[in-house]
Amino acid sequence: MWWITMIFRNPVLSIILLAFIGVGCGTQKVIVPQVDTTTKANFFISGKIIYEGKQEYLPSTIINDNTNASPIIFKYTYNTIYGKDNTPQVLPLFNPLSLVGFPIGGNTLVVAGNMEVIKKEKVVKSYTATCGFDVTRNLFYEGDTYTELRKEGLLEIKRNIEIQMYLERENLVSLLADE
Amino acid sequence: MSGKVKSLAIVAFFCTCVPLLSSCATLGPVYQKADKLPDNTGLVYFYRPSSFIGGGVAYDIKTGDNNVITTLHNGGYFPYFSNPGEVEFWAKTESRSSITLDVKQGQVYYVKGTVGVGFFVGRPHLIAVPNDVGEKEIVDCKLIPSPNKEEEKEHKGKQ
Repeated sequence: MWWITMIFRNPVLSIILLAFIGVGCGTQKVIVPQVDTTTKANFFISGKIIYEGKQEYLPSTIINDNTNASPIIFKYTYNTIYGKDNTPQVLPLFNPLSLVGFPIGGNTLVVAGNMEVIKKEKVVKSYTATCGFDVTRNLFYEGDTYTELRKEGLLEIKRNIEIQMYLERENLVSLLADE
Repeated sequence: MSGKVKSLAIVAFFCTCVPLLSSCATLGPVYQKADKLPDNTGLVYFYRPSSFIGGGVAYDIKTGDNNVITTLHNGGYFPYFSNPGEVEFWAKTESRSSITLDVKQGQVYYVKGTVGVGFFVGRPHLIAVPNDVGEKEIVDCKLIPSPNKEEEKEHKGKQ
């Protein structure tokens, strides 16, 4: 095609082409609430843990107390929501700009985690964290798969909740202290 | 039309049609909901609504440990009884698409497969959809024969 030859022969057009390719792709990540991720959560608290999932996604600030006598329960749950790709597949097929890196689709994923601290059958504290990803695909960049995004999201919300618990550690300890 | 042009046209016709037809499969009956799940399993429906775009492309769905579950054809569906836990499912042509589900015992999941634009061949995309959406979209899909049954048939045919 004549216009592809023209682009590659002209350095200015080549730079514009590369800029298009670079701009049209990428992963956007948003985490709520925002916390200082440099904080080291050197803190843990023990209680009975209710959780179904892999150990690596469980916040390390809680330690399972196997003795049934513990009045404190930590209930950790997470959920993943997949977004619909609204780009009609017929569009990039007939769009010549797809060849220079225009988006041809996207992946959206939201991972939400919730930690409930229960004392004497009553929720005394709740921590939530949400991580959202928006990946734009083009012909040159497919981006991370849902498996990779899910894992990254679960680790992000784990870290977020750990920091939230650490920042509130004194309040939390006093809440859970025996009366 | 000269003989040379005619033969070139025939070759071009076959070059176009053979790849298109090569991924066509004999599909079974229209979607029927599974009555009962085996003990200690979750059910994952893989389905691909019929579409003109990428209709000739079919791809294998595999588990994280490379076991082929089925070949997902245009307009087909396949029920897979999975062990509970975190299970990865993936597909690949010129790019890889992968999704991980937390399969729970007795639960039903729907994974939709589509084909997107690629350089040389359509790219697979797998996405988990909510059950209410999956139940609606899967109704027109036809059952993809189990890969094991196809192998058995081929084996019997050879004998």
